[in-house]
Order: sequence, then C-alpha cells, then structure tokens
Amino acid sequence: MNYKDYIKWERMPTTWCPGCAIGTIFKQTTFALAEMGLAAEDMTVVSGIGCSGRAAGYFNVDSVHVTHGRALPVAEGIKRANPKLKVIVFSGDGDLVGIGGNHLLHAARRDVDLAVICVNNGIYGMTGGQMAPTTPTGEKTLTSPHGTAYAPLNIQGIVTSNRRHWFARASTFHIVHLKKVIREAVEHPGFAFIEVMGFCIENYGRRLGFKSGHEMLAKLKSDYTLKAGPDGLLGDHELGVVKNDGQSG
Amino acid sequence: MKSLIMGNEAVACGALKAGLTFFAAYPITPASEIMHELAGREPEIAFVHAEDEIASIHMAIGASLAGRKAMTSTSGPGMSLKQEGIGLAHMMEVPLVVVNVQRVGPSTGMPTLPAQGDILQAAHGSHGDYVPIVLYPSSVEECYRYAIEAFNAAEESRSPVILLLDGYIAHLQETVDLDTVAFDLKSRTFAPLGRGRRHFTGLLARDGVPRTKDTAYYREWYARVKTKMLEAAAHYRFFDYLKNPASDTLIIAYGITYRVVSPLRGSFSLFKPVRMFPVLEDEIRAAAAEHDKIVVVEMNDGQYRGEVQKVLRREVLGVSLLGGTISLKEIQERLREL
Repeated sequence: MNYKDYIKWERMPTTWCPGCAIGTIFKQTTFALAEMGLAAEDMTVVSGIGCSGRAAGYFNVDSVHVTHGRALPVAEGIKRANPKLKVIVFSGDGDLVGIGGNHLLHAARRDVDLAVICVNNGIYGMTGGQMAPTTPTGEKTLTSPHGTAYAPLNIQGIVTSNRRHWFARASTFHIVHLKKVIREAVEHPGFAFIEVMGFCIENYGRRLGFKSGHEMLAKLKSDYTLKAGPDGLLGDHELGVVKNDGQSG
Repeated sequence: MKSLIMGNEAVACGALKAGLTFFAAYPITPASEIMHELAGREPEIAFVHAEDEIASIHMAIGASLAGRKAMTSTSGPGMSLKQEGIGLAHMMEVPLVVVNVQRVGPSTGMPTLPAQGDILQAAHGSHGDYVPIVLYPSSVEECYRYAIEAFNAAEESRSPVILLLDGYIAHLQETVDLDTVAFDLKSRTFAPLGRGRRHFTGLLARDGVPRTKDTAYYREWYARVKTKMLEAAAHYRFFDYLKNPASDTLIIAYGITYRVVSPLRGSFSLFKPVRMFPVLEDEIRAAAAEHDKIVVVEMNDGQYRGEVQKVLRREVLGVSLLGGTISLKEIQERLREL
C-alpha cells in the first residue's frame, strides 16, 4: 500500500493554516497505515471537534466526525459493534482531555481496543486561542490574559493510572518516532493513547512571540528528547512509550 | 404465553424482538429496569454500562453506524444530557431508539415521581430544526408493541426515534401475552462502517463534504430531511379514538393519563395519540370536528394542549396534573370546573 491511498485527495487542501502541525501528524499516520498495509475495509477513523477533528474527513476510509468531546464513546460503540474493525481516534487535546475528559478516564479504564492520536497544541485553536487544559502555566491566552494560573493536565498520569496501560508521547518534529508509535498503537490490542506534541502558530504561537510554524517546530526539537531507558514514566520533556500488560508489576 | 411483567421489561423485550444487538445506558430511576433486563446477555447483544448519559447515546450512535440496532434509555435528567447525541444522530441520519421514562422536573425535581413534562423536549430538545418521531405507549403490551415500532421507524427514517414513557407506565405490571402481538420488522437501509469511503459528520455536508457556508444547500438539505421524516412517520400513525355520540366533549390524553381517564368513556369521547410527534394533525382535526369542547388531560402545564391548539386553531381546554400524583377523582372535579 502507498500512503497516498489513505488520503481523500479530492478534499485537499485541508482546512489547516500554513505552518500548522496537524498536517505532519496526519501524514505520518498515513505512512504508518501504509506500512501496516491496513485495508480501508478493515478500519475507520473517528474525530471530535476542533482543528484536529477535521482529520477524519481527510482519510480515504469510512470516517465519522462527531460532537465535541465524544469521539471516544462513538469509537467505543463502533469497536464493540464490530471488533474486527481497527478504530483510530484522531482529535485534539481540548476535545479528548478537556470536554471529553470523562470519556478518556473510562475508555482507558475499560481498556477499549482503540488507537488514540491526540494532537496536543496546548490551545483551543479553532475558536481563536483560548486556554486549554494543557496550556503551560503562566502562558497568556484569550481567556488567561494575565497568564494561566493552573498546571497543565497530566495526560500520562491519567492513562497510566490503570494497571494495564499503553501511553506514548511523540512530537511533530521527531517524525520517525511518531510513525513508529502510531503503528505500535494501532497494533496494540487495547487502549493505546499517543500524546503528540503539536503547535498552533496562528492562534497561539504569534501571541507568544514566534514568527513562524517552523520556529515552533524547532522548539520541539530543542525541548524534547527520546527517553533513554525502557522503564518508568516519561519526564515532562521526554518522548517514548510507557506500557504495562497488566501482568507485570 | 401469558406473563406478568412491567412496562420497562416489555420495552426491553420489544427491543430484543426488533433485533436490538447493542445497548448502552447509565442507571437512573425510573428507567433502570430496562438496563437490568438487557444486562448479562452478551455475546448475543453488546451491553455497556457507560460512564454517563452522553457517552451512552454516543456509543449507541457508533454501534448503529457499525451496523447494529442500538438503543439507550434514561429519565429526564439523563434525557437533558442526551440532547447533544440526538442532534448528532439527526444530522448524520443514524437510526437508534432513545427511551425516556419521565419523572418530575426540572432538574432532579421530585425523585422519582412520574410526570409527562418532557413532551416538548422530545420534539425540540436539541438545538436547531429537526423533525423527530416520538411514540408514547399507555400499557405494558403497548410498551412492547411500540418499542418494536420505534425500531422500525428509526430504520425507515434513519433517525433517533424517541419512545416516551412515564414512571407509572414504566412500573405498571400487567398480565400480557406478548406472543400474540403481530409485527413486521424493518431492516437496515445502508451499509455498516468499513464498506466505503463515506464521511459521516455533524456538519452540514453534501456527500461527506462539509458545506458550512452554503445557505441554498442548507435549505435543500432541510427540505429533503423533513420530507423523509414526514414520509416515514406516515407509516406510524398510531392512535385510539373512542367516540361517544352522546358527548360534546373530546378528552385527549396519553400514557398513564389515558389509562386513568379511560373509565370516563361512558361520558366523554376519548382520543389517545400514540405518535406524539409529528402531531397527528388530520386525526386530531377529524375527531375535534365532532365535538364542541376539547380538553387535554396531562401531567404537565399544558405542553400538548399547546400543540393541539396549534393544529386546531381554536381554544383547547386543559387539565394539568402537576407534582407527580394523578387521580380520577381530581380529574372529574377539574373537568366539572371547566
């Protein structure tokens, strides 16, 4: 299979701004799908609302674009109705861990066989740049004009609080690793959640002083490193996979 | 075989008879017996006790898209939460059945005394314009019969059909022989997920491509969907009309209220709508034309009376039974006062 087979070319160009991270993550997803040779008949993609939520419609498979925060329950309904389908959820941080946070707690707890690709750009981009549950402390947004008072949500902590878990952090810059963990997530028989560090230049980065999406990409390069050892949780600026099959300690 | 069962159990039996293979819900009185009846039937059906009401309706939507006949059930507080999914299912044209066993609201209200206060919510609860099909049984046998018809209407209209009950009908125990109920079954009219390159979306879309700034297309789309709903609904014109030639008064009642006023058939004409929405305009007009006085008896502040008045364009009287209790004596006294 070729990655081009997984893209609905008639829908191009996408709605995403020039310099946006989502296109890269979308493309790496199609690379991973092509590598696995997954047939369109054997998969579906579900998205919620937001910029990342538009991704479902760009995959050349049967896809579903639902209400804000509800990608996980719709995906769970699909998976339970037809366990043979590979169900991929592609959505944003505001959607999956903000308004859809309760569903994340419980889909992870039930270990539903889903591959979740969560684009974490730390902001509500589509609505203009409001504070997200993932916005770093102190950063100014439209709804935190004096700087966010809160600490960002610890997504890794939520997912790995379940005895059996599969969590990865990847970044838009480290694309070889990103593609690898997407494939691993899709092949993992259970709930697999990837937090992909993205960025939003137009409705976030510019307010922070970045001149271009490329500058934000370069910051991911300098901020994040691949975790060296296999054990333990990821540090705040580490990329890698944290997993437990539920049998071992 | 005759058996003694309650309304909620009959809903579950009807759903199974109609081919239900997916059920997701969240516990709430007075609807939980539907859940209890369907729990533990895996692998024949997929059953999820979900984390909340919003999750359960969205799971049902996903399962339906994947090819299953799906249902969720709740009561008022949960029904308020499910409105988001109801709108999505209308927009994406996904068949499913949503059961609302009404109790006194707003909010937590009077847990868990029965009510009929969610009539207009059933028609207009989610934002935007849409044309829902709403059925309301008034006996245990009807709970079974119309649960089946709710699934049929859902498949035929490709929409979420609402089955309204009240706490009394849901917990009413009656001896019924469900085997004698005759029915046809409608099957799925579109392929399950995984058979194409389709895009299902809550956005206005033409052939899966969003058309979010296209007023002309919205109007074309809405006209198509409305026609589709009305044409499908035309096959589900369920009602009872007991005409009393000696009476100049027509009483309109539904659900438990109809059961309570039934003994008055010697003195009044009675009309029971089962298909609450779209309102049975022709049938109500025809029955009303034979009477001077029209009275709607209901456990809310005149919600269906307003609908009937809209259809008839003449004054319609009402007996509102608020606060969770109902008695024939009170209804008779209130009728005399009119």
